[in-house]
Amino acid sequence: MGKNTTYRIGELNAELGISGDTLRYYEKIGLLNNVARTPAGIRYYTEKNVSSLRFILRAKSMNFTLDEIKQLLLFREAPQNSRVEVQELTRQKLKTIEDKVIELDKLRKELSLLLNLCGCADEGCPIIDGLDS
Amino acid sequence: MTVIIELFTSPNCSNCAETITDLQEITNALNGVQWREVNIIEELDYAVELGVLSSPSIAINGQLVFTGVPSAKTLLATIKHAKTGD
Repeated sequence: MGKNTTYRIGELNAELGISGDTLRYYEKIGLLNNVARTPAGIRYYTEKNVSSLRFILRAKSMNFTLDEIKQLLLFREAPQNSRVEVQELTRQKLKTIEDKVIELDKLRKELSLLLNLCGCADEGCPIIDGLDS
Repeated sequence: MTVIIELFTSPNCSNCAETITDLQEITNALNGVQWREVNIIEELDYAVELGVLSSPSIAINGQLVFTGVPSAKTLLATIKHAKTGD
């Protein structure tokens, strides 16, 4: 994807895995704004829309609600004009992400260690014992 | 000052037995040194917390010091260094 490129629904479906129904729903509830249309009324999406969609997908993967994501997108658009409540929501979400990163890092280290132990074993694989316990 | 040495081992670790023998010989000759064998599989969280990446690994006073097998001379020097508290 490059600058000044526009995308049809099918292309976004291929690139991001978002269906047309979902795109239209996000637009309807105000999560995705400024979706342009051709003179024939066919929707097309700009790089900015795609950036918002990527943000939505990331936030959804962290189990943020659509309402929370909507607030965060507003903050993303104009952080200097944000309300105190939105700043607080952003702080809370940042903390959630930081906690998640710590947990993921522990998991990464644990799996790396188990794989290394597999490598030093003459027979069998201690990773199985580690995962069973 | 008591020095606590932890040897992290795992099942079928080919170098661990040799390291245990070295450690026993060294610690028997020194006062104020305690050591224990830590089975990584049984204490995974603790091993990860200390940054253990493979076996054998050696921690002294709760700090990972060796990954792999140090020479007996290096190990002895490190223990003596830890005993002085430097």
